[in-house]
Amino acid sequence: MTLYQKRKAINHFNMAMCVLTTIFGLFWLVWLLWTLVSHGIGYIDWQVFTEPTPAPGNDGGLSNAIVGSVIVTAVGTLIGAPIGIFAGTYLAEYGRGSRIAAVVRFFNDVLLSAPSIIIGLFVYEIVVVTMGHFSALAGGIALSLIMIPLNVRITENMMRLVSDQMREAAAALGIPRWKVITRIIYRAALSGIITGVILGIARIAGETAPLLFTALNNNFFSTNLLAPIANLPIMIFQFALSPYEDWHHLAWVGAFLITFAILALNVVVRFVLRPSK
Amino acid sequence: MARNSYDTETPARTTPASTDTDVGHTEGQSGGDDARQGVVPKDNPCKIAVRDLCFNYGDFQALKNINVDIVDKEVTAFIGPSGCGKSTLLRCFNRIFELYPGHSASGTVEMDGMNLLDKSVDLNVLRAKIGMVFQKPTPFPMSIYDNIAFGVRLYEKLKRHEMDERVEWSLRKAALWDEVKDKLRGNGSALSGGQQQRLCIARAVAVKPEVLLLDEPASALDPVATLKIEELVHELREEYTIVIVTHNMQQAARVAGYTAFFHLGEVVEYADTDTLFTNPREKRTEDYITGRYG
Repeated sequence: MTLYQKRKAINHFNMAMCVLTTIFGLFWLVWLLWTLVSHGIGYIDWQVFTEPTPAPGNDGGLSNAIVGSVIVTAVGTLIGAPIGIFAGTYLAEYGRGSRIAAVVRFFNDVLLSAPSIIIGLFVYEIVVVTMGHFSALAGGIALSLIMIPLNVRITENMMRLVSDQMREAAAALGIPRWKVITRIIYRAALSGIITGVILGIARIAGETAPLLFTALNNNFFSTNLLAPIANLPIMIFQFALSPYEDWHHLAWVGAFLITFAILALNVVVRFVLRPSK
Repeated sequence: MARNSYDTETPARTTPASTDTDVGHTEGQSGGDDARQGVVPKDNPCKIAVRDLCFNYGDFQALKNINVDIVDKEVTAFIGPSGCGKSTLLRCFNRIFELYPGHSASGTVEMDGMNLLDKSVDLNVLRAKIGMVFQKPTPFPMSIYDNIAFGVRLYEKLKRHEMDERVEWSLRKAALWDEVKDKLRGNGSALSGGQQQRLCIARAVAVKPEVLLLDEPASALDPVATLKIEELVHELREEYTIVIVTHNMQQAARVAGYTAFFHLGEVVEYADTDTLFTNPREKRTEDYITGRYG
C-alpha cells in the first residue's frame, strides 16, 4: 500500500467513525422526541391550556403550571439577563487585564457549573426562610442565579469578537467610552448577546431542582409573585411519580410542551438571529 | 514592492508640492545640514511640533527622542520598515495609545502651543480636532448616514436639513457621494472595502478636524481604490494638515510634500519628499528607498 492509499484509508475510517457517532447521538435525541410526541400529543386539547391541574380522577389541564413556568422564567430572566450582560460588559471592556476581572471570571466559571440543587438550597436559606414561605419570586431568583453566569460568559465572548479596531476608530472620533460601548459595541454584538439571553431562557425554563425549594408548587391558578406557584418541571416530577393514570397523561403533555418550547427557542436563535449579522 | 522605486516613480510624480511655493523653500533648505538632522522644516508654519518624544510598550522602547515638525496644510508621510515606530508616533498625536494599559509617552507634542500629552487636555475634544483613519476600514454597525452623523452629533446640535447637508458635504469630500447617495439608509458594512475606507474618511472629515492622521489607509485596498484614496488626500491637503503612514514608497512620493524615514524607533531623515527620494543624505535612507533592506 502506498502512502497515499494508506492516507485515504485512514480518511475513510475517520469519516465513517464521525458519521457513526453522529448517528449515535441523533438516535437518542430522535427517540426522546418521538417518545414525547407519541405519549404527549394525543392528550393535548384546549382544556390543557384553560384548566388548572385537577384532583385525581377529575378533568383538568395545565394552565396554572404553564402560566407559572412563564412567570418564574420571566422573573429569572428580568433579574438575570441585565446583571449578566452588565457583568459581561465589565469583563469585556473595563476589566480587561485587571486582576479583579480575572477573579470574577474564575468564580463565574465555578458558578456556571454549580449543581442547580445547591442554588435552590441557597435561595431557600436566604429568601424562603427570610420571607417565611415559598414564593414565585424565590423561584425566579434561583433561576436568575443559573442565568447570570451563562449571560456573563456569552456577553463577554460576543463583545470580545468586536475588533479592537472598531473601538479605536470610535475613540479616535472623540466618542466617550460609555457611548462607544452602548451605541457601537452593543450594536455590533447584539445578535450574539440576544442569542445568549434566549439560550439562557431555554436553559432555566426546564430547571427543576432550583424550584423544589423555592417556588414549590400550587394546585390552583396563581399569578401572585409572593405565593407558591405551579410550574411545569415540578408538575411533571409530581404527576409522573403519582399512581394515577390521568396524571401520567398530563405529565407527558407537560414534558412535550416544555421540550418543544425549548426546541422552538433554539430554532429561533439559529434561523432568525443568525442571518442578521 | 518594486525596487528602484524612486528611479521610476519620482520623475513621474505630479504632487502639487513640486509646483507650489514649497519648492523655493525646500531647495534653499536642501543644502543645510541642520534641516535634515534636526528634522525641522524651516519657514513653513508648523502645526504639530514633536520634541524629545519617547514611547514605551511596557519595557520595549518604540520611539527614541523623536523631534519632528509637521507642516500646516501639507501632507507629511512617515515611511520605514515594519516595527520602526511610524504608526506609534501617529498614535501619539491623538493619544489613542491610551486605550491600552502599559503604553506610555514622554516628551511633548505641541499643537497650537498646547502640549497634547498633558493630562489636563480633554481627550475627546483633542480627538475631535485630530481625526484618524485606520488600516482596516471600520464602518460602525449602522447606516451610512448615521456612520457620519454619529460623530457630528457629539459636538454640534444641527437641524435635520443642516445634518443632511453635512453628511452630503463630507461624503462629497471623500468622493463617495455619487456612489452612496441612493442608499444612505443602507448598512455601512455592505459597501466594498474601498468604499468603506472612504466612508471612514468622510466620517473623520465630517467633524471638521484640523489634522487628519492616516495609518496605512490604502494597504488593504486594491490599486483602483488606492488611487481614489490618494486623489482624495490630494484634495484634502488644501484644507487639512495630513500625516500619512505608508509602507508604499511610491505612495509617499506621490502624495506627500514632506517625508520622514523611520528606522528602529528613530527618525533617520526628514526632508521634503523630492530631496529625500532623489538625494538622501543618510546611507540607511538610500538603502531603504532603493530596496536594499527593510
